[in-house]
Amino acid sequence: MPGVMVFLCRCCGRIPPTVDLLALGEKIGREEGVAVVETRDTLCLPEDRAAMLRSFEESGASGILVAACSPYGKAGDVVTTLSAACDGDRSHVRLVDIREGCAWIHRGDPAGATAKAGDLIRMNLGFLRHGKRSADAVVAVRPECIVVGAGSAGMAAALSIARAGHRVHLVERGMGGGGMLKLLSHVYPTDAGAEEKLKPSLEAISAQPLIVFHAKTRVVAATGYAGDFKIRLASGTGETNLHVGAVILATGAGVWLPRGLYRYGELKEVLTLMELERRRREGRESPRRTVFIHCVGARCPERPYCATICCPSSIKNAAWIKRADPGAEVTILHRDIMMPGAILERYYRGALEAGVRFVRFAADAPPVVSGDGKVENVSVFDAINGVEREIAADQVILSTPLVANADNAKLADLFHIGIDRYGFFREDDPLHPLETRQAGVFICGSARWPVASGDAAAQGEGAAMKALAILGRERLSARSLSRLPEGKLGHARIEDGFCSGCGNCVAVCPYEACALQKVGGALVSRANKMRCRACGSCMSVCPNGTIQMPEHNARAVGAMIRRAFSPREAR
Amino acid sequence: MNAPETTDKKPSPRVLVFACRWCALIGADAAGRKKTELPASFRVIPVECASMVEPDSVLRALASGADGVAVMGCHLGGCRFNDANHVAVKRMEALGDLLDTVGIGRRRLLLSFGTAHEGHEFAEVLGNFLRELGPLPELTRWRKTLLNLPAFR
Amino acid sequence: MTSVLSRTPRQATSDTLPVLIEGGGAAGITAGLDLAAAGRRVHLIERSGHLGGQMLNLDKIYPTDHCAFCPLWTDIRRLQTDPRITVHLSSRIESLDTTGEGSLATIRTEPPLIAPERCIGCGACFDACAPGAVKPPGEHVYPPSFRIDRDLCNRCGSCVGICPSAAIDLAREEERETLKVGQVIRAAGFIEADLKPLPEFGYGLHPDIMTSLEFEAWTAEAGPNDGRIVRKSGGGRPANIAFVQCSGARDDRLLPWCSAVCCMHALKQSSWVKRRDPGIDCCIFYTDLRTVGRDYYAYSRRAEDKAGVRLVRGRPGLIHPLPGGGIAVKFEDTLTQKREIRRFDMVVLNGNLRPSAGDRYENGAEPPAEACGFAAEPADVAQSAWQGSAAAMMAISRDKEGPCRA
Repeated sequence: MPGVMVFLCRCCGRIPPTVDLLALGEKIGREEGVAVVETRDTLCLPEDRAAMLRSFEESGASGILVAACSPYGKAGDVVTTLSAACDGDRSHVRLVDIREGCAWIHRGDPAGATAKAGDLIRMNLGFLRHGKRSADAVVAVRPECIVVGAGSAGMAAALSIARAGHRVHLVERGMGGGGMLKLLSHVYPTDAGAEEKLKPSLEAISAQPLIVFHAKTRVVAATGYAGDFKIRLASGTGETNLHVGAVILATGAGVWLPRGLYRYGELKEVLTLMELERRRREGRESPRRTVFIHCVGARCPERPYCATICCPSSIKNAAWIKRADPGAEVTILHRDIMMPGAILERYYRGALEAGVRFVRFAADAPPVVSGDGKVENVSVFDAINGVEREIAADQVILSTPLVANADNAKLADLFHIGIDRYGFFREDDPLHPLETRQAGVFICGSARWPVASGDAAAQGEGAAMKALAILGRERLSARSLSRLPEGKLGHARIEDGFCSGCGNCVAVCPYEACALQKVGGALVSRANKMRCRACGSCMSVCPNGTIQMPEHNARAVGAMIRRAFSPREAR
Repeated sequence: MNAPETTDKKPSPRVLVFACRWCALIGADAAGRKKTELPASFRVIPVECASMVEPDSVLRALASGADGVAVMGCHLGGCRFNDANHVAVKRMEALGDLLDTVGIGRRRLLLSFGTAHEGHEFAEVLGNFLRELGPLPELTRWRKTLLNLPAFR
Repeated sequence: MTSVLSRTPRQATSDTLPVLIEGGGAAGITAGLDLAAAGRRVHLIERSGHLGGQMLNLDKIYPTDHCAFCPLWTDIRRLQTDPRITVHLSSRIESLDTTGEGSLATIRTEPPLIAPERCIGCGACFDACAPGAVKPPGEHVYPPSFRIDRDLCNRCGSCVGICPSAAIDLAREEERETLKVGQVIRAAGFIEADLKPLPEFGYGLHPDIMTSLEFEAWTAEAGPNDGRIVRKSGGGRPANIAFVQCSGARDDRLLPWCSAVCCMHALKQSSWVKRRDPGIDCCIFYTDLRTVGRDYYAYSRRAEDKAGVRLVRGRPGLIHPLPGGGIAVKFEDTLTQKREIRRFDMVVLNGNLRPSAGDRYENGAEPPAEACGFAAEPADVAQSAWQGSAAAMMAISRDKEGPCRA
């Protein structure tokens, strides 16, 4: 057993005198399993690198223990440098914090600090003896991609990936691409025609030989992991099997009808924004007097969210009516006007300048729509002026929220990702909004959260960029999937013959990386190396310690625990 | 296996801290940078996530000389492993019940999720725990019992 | 399937020019990591001495209430250790010559007087510095190097001799480097605009009238008061705090736009004040309470219903220190039409955010294609991040055959 090389850092006299490194060095040198102890003034300077690597080579040791500053200091980089000498294997290098974690917080008790430093080093020597390493999983990457949903986000994602040279399967449950753009007349903030905006994308998709368009098709099954997903599609003509490297979900959002609100469905000329858009597309002129009502079925107990795009969409149409007919009376009844940013602020002002009237109402005093057969007027308490108003109306437009696509829950299940309480796909965290808890599965557009077509396209490109990190490689290692700087801590391992098939690990794994499989007639757990993120949750629920993280296995932890507190006499 | 002796005061209780290397270790590191003075009777074992801490390890620690064990993780909702710490909280609470049942007492198990991620917080949380453990009697009888269990040999 | 698809297509070669990213905040870091992951080389130019941008100045972020720096930390460490990415700190793009194929970028760097790669963090220089020019390492910054404020330094040299690792060189002068680059991504983020030109906000008249970032730093858990909410004047506990939205924003005199992030920022700050000290009365003066993102509206409801944060619709017309102490805030609650002058112990002015590169946004309907994050449009963390990814994709597409957005 070659033993361990121990580097003790003096930090130029900032660790001693509190921790007596001289005495400590001698004691550690006599410990079983220690090959060499070297005390240095520094470990982190550029000139220390070569010297330390040389010392290690000459020692013939098989592992390294570094006793220095905290992992949030420069010791982390020292570990990286030294692990280069162990073929990049960080599990052979162990860091012990005897500065921030010892010398600097126990200056009033040098004896105690020295004893603690000794204990910490012994603990980690024990760990090194029993710590193991899981072989990194490496898979061949399928160079193709699937994009589910051919709206603004999906089309942009597919075009970006295809332009980068990869085949893309663009799967759409409808007849053709376009998504929400097919239902709109014009878009904000450019006020460009939706059709004229859509046309170039559709043409580009048709002209792009690397995009395979699957119309009237749904995803019905999915297995696999980043680099290697097996997907089954179903359409009217049968089933197709795909084998792709990355998945982009761009399924958009759904339209919601405000039945039972504001006499919708009861009175004529009470419409939703979408119905107005259709009329506008058909070239129908708008009547003289229009009242828009905001937050219809949104920011209420049933749908406690703001759907982001309704205010701008409504204001877009209100301004259009006024500009087409300056004599028209257009009133917007609103709660808060949700137009954040520079572009939307300008857009809002543009509507004001065009002569759109704005009346604010309180959430607990909504407007009342009345009429006989056809809408006649809307009464509202003007919260800012404190007066009741009666507004004559020839049409009332209800601004309703987008709701989550009904398919999201099923897709989330198939791909093992999360959905939020409103039904939209959940991102991993705000700083990684296009990534989900499964590596290789990305979300964009209104499938993620209601967003306008321009932003949806940008998110589609962003998701394409994330996918390319996988697709562009021939091979992908599990370690490289981690967002941690040193990669992830290996993966869980089940020891054959001991697993009782209880399924605790399956239930508790945050990434659904464990599954029960039949092996030789018995149900045992298997951890997917590519999906496992090495959090260790499985270890703590296994009734007999069968599933272990080799890099943090129970034996190694037990060795640390046993050596944590040395008797006073032995100091 | 004796506790450290001092002249007239009872020695500071020995605590093994399982600290997740995110919130908790950052707090420990910050306490160090600020050079906050703490008793030298605790040892820190960094873990990837508090959910990695096995109930077994807590019992082993108590059997091996610790007077108390602290499990420190990120605040609920802040776990970077998709809320793995929620399960850890539940598991550790259940372990607390077990400790009560066998007479060791849940007061020897400190759970800190998101309350020790700053230097002064880490110092306060740990300092309070050490103070609470002070008046508790030695665990020697229980340690002997636990140590004799086959699992711990 | 043709054989061309079984090879790795369009992989970056060593001939491919690196991408230049201006700005090392959420947007720039995301773009840099995405580009490097796709095989591209990156030069990331950051004006300050550390990566992280404004997100590092936040104590917590909404709507998760997480510490802001933690997710950023791992991304920063990945960026710093990626062999394809060269980070230029304390640097600016002095000029960009786009006349030839690719561009020639001249980068001006003011190197730190204490070399971070040599600083061992012992603090001997800090102890030895009489004028207080040596500052401790920034919170949550890597590497944790001490720093010298050039303006406060009197060049006495005490630190130089005492440094055990010879890390200090007071004579370090600015350097210039010319880089040949391909695409450029603008991600310089935002800064706070000076509110003194708008006297009714009272900024500068009282220590307890602060901007939102000043309040964030003052009340941060890692800040000077360990997260306790105390007045800057006199240090006692404030009885109440006013959060004034749209300060300087949506205002033709200063910033004619909405800064997008401030409503949620005020809800977050006031929620945390209530969490730490429920007895402090918090009142947000808003015009439109903008809660458009995921869980934002639910967050605002929790702030109001559970935490007890008060909301008043109305932009105060005057904020002024009172002779006996405290600050007068004169406002009209536009939803009740009642006018009032109320005394507050602290006032937080929220809204005065402007792009840091240039002081305006262009008046077009869309921001310039190479800009992302706040440099393009007022944006929160999530938007900055996905725009960074989109900008990275655009940079790759443009290199080959023009923009991919139809």
